[in-house]
Amino acid sequence: MLRVEQASAQIDGVTVVRSATLEIAKGGTVALIGRNGAGKTSVLRSIMGFLKLTGGRVTFDGGDLRDVPSHRRPFLGIGYAPEDRRLNGSFTLEENLRFPGEVMQLSAAELRRRMELVYGVLPELHAMRTRPAAGLSGGQGKMVALGRALVAGSRVILLDEPFQGLAPVLAQRYGAALRELRQVDRELGLLITESNPSLLRSFADEIYVIERGETSRQDALPDSSLADSDLH
Amino acid sequence: MFLQTVLLATLDGLSYGAQVFLVAVGLSLIFGVLRIVNVAHGSFYAIGAYVAASFGLLLAASGLSPWLSYPAMALSAVLVGVLLGGLLEVTLLRRIYGKEQVLQLLVTFAVFMIFEDLQKAIWGVSPYFVNTPLSLLGTVNILGINYSLYQLVVVPAFAVVVLLTLRYVLRSTRIGRIVTAVTDDREAAAAMGVDAAKVYLLTFMIGASLAAFGGALASGSTSLVPGMGSGMIILSFAVAATAGLGRIEGAAVAALMIGLGRSIAVYTAPEFDVLVPYLIMFVVLLIKPQGLFSVPQTRKV
Repeated sequence: MLRVEQASAQIDGVTVVRSATLEIAKGGTVALIGRNGAGKTSVLRSIMGFLKLTGGRVTFDGGDLRDVPSHRRPFLGIGYAPEDRRLNGSFTLEENLRFPGEVMQLSAAELRRRMELVYGVLPELHAMRTRPAAGLSGGQGKMVALGRALVAGSRVILLDEPFQGLAPVLAQRYGAALRELRQVDRELGLLITESNPSLLRSFADEIYVIERGETSRQDALPDSSLADSDLH
Repeated sequence: MFLQTVLLATLDGLSYGAQVFLVAVGLSLIFGVLRIVNVAHGSFYAIGAYVAASFGLLLAASGLSPWLSYPAMALSAVLVGVLLGGLLEVTLLRRIYGKEQVLQLLVTFAVFMIFEDLQKAIWGVSPYFVNTPLSLLGTVNILGINYSLYQLVVVPAFAVVVLLTLRYVLRSTRIGRIVTAVTDDREAAAAMGVDAAKVYLLTFMIGASLAAFGGALASGSTSLVPGMGSGMIILSFAVAATAGLGRIEGAAVAALMIGLGRSIAVYTAPEFDVLVPYLIMFVVLLIKPQGLFSVPQTRKV
């Protein structure tokens, strides 16, 4: 469904993504593992179009996304939860969740369907829905960011280091929510980045490792690099 | 008469504060969303005033109802904001978002100088005065003072309408939430489907229209002279800085403070009238360096 083919991208003249290649199939769960600074976020930002590609391409359903501006990509069904949550503090929790639907002017029925999906997977958010987002804890914020990405993208969602900075209990809860999501929506594609491979190994169908902006399928990687990526 | 002086100063301050508010709130809105300090903002005020005055003269010459000069004011403001503001945003400002502030200041300052000369080229240097809006409504007598109804009611009323509309739109509508989201984080907003470039353009047009509207209202009661834009931009900077840049209600309060302070000075110590706004700003910033109404930044991580 979503393919990154030999993509390269630069930030201020420094190449941060080097011929990265990965594919997310319909209903697939893909993990992108790499240390801090390896280029995980840059790959996601390239998929969203925030980084302009200097080579290669990103395709969705076979169509090149080059001419699709970033803000049109959610309309295709791509949702993105940045690592640092980036909720709107002056909105309530629910306003944050509904916001992408409001922007895209989804029909009331479609928005309701997506909100039900979110509250179904993350029921704890429902009780807090009228709280201002500025008052949420880091872990709660991550859950809202996941929910918001689900409202934005109905076909594939990109989660940037969702487990980063979560207390173990919350990380477990977050993992359970993702499993639940997998059960409820079998068509949805998931791309999750993480620096700690052990968190996703049991969960992902496919694992890619990224190092210095270069991706490789995990099977093809020598053990030493894997051990490396465990060290952070 | 002491009481009459106080009353006059208050009424003048209200009317003047209302005009300053319109300009300052536009400046503040543009800064809040686009993160750009637009030195050319005062030019929109001046050009709005000149365009409204020209419309006034046209109306007088054409023999149409002079009452049309009020809608003509709003029309001039929108024209200036949308056409001139839009042109500036699309051709120039778009290239300098996120660049160093020095560059932004230099570019917008250059635009300001170009606009100043354009005004002189188009409208000349002799004062313009179109008092139809003022004379149409006549005056009222308050405690022995004859005061024009236009300055007493129309100008402040428009400022209040603008304030309430902006507040309502920003807090309670879809557009407002979109603007807020872009202000917070352009990239995150784009990931939610927001066309940030469009929001920037629209915000700039609205901000410029507000300044032009301030000018259009001023054209009804003051004579237009070259340099009126520079005076206003400095004053509205003072208001916006006193309020905390990007704060809308704050701009209203600060504009009132500075408008009143200035007109009190005009009547009691005229040699200081230029100084008073800065004194107020100085004292406020000394006590609250982020401005009167700044809110603590919510944590991002």
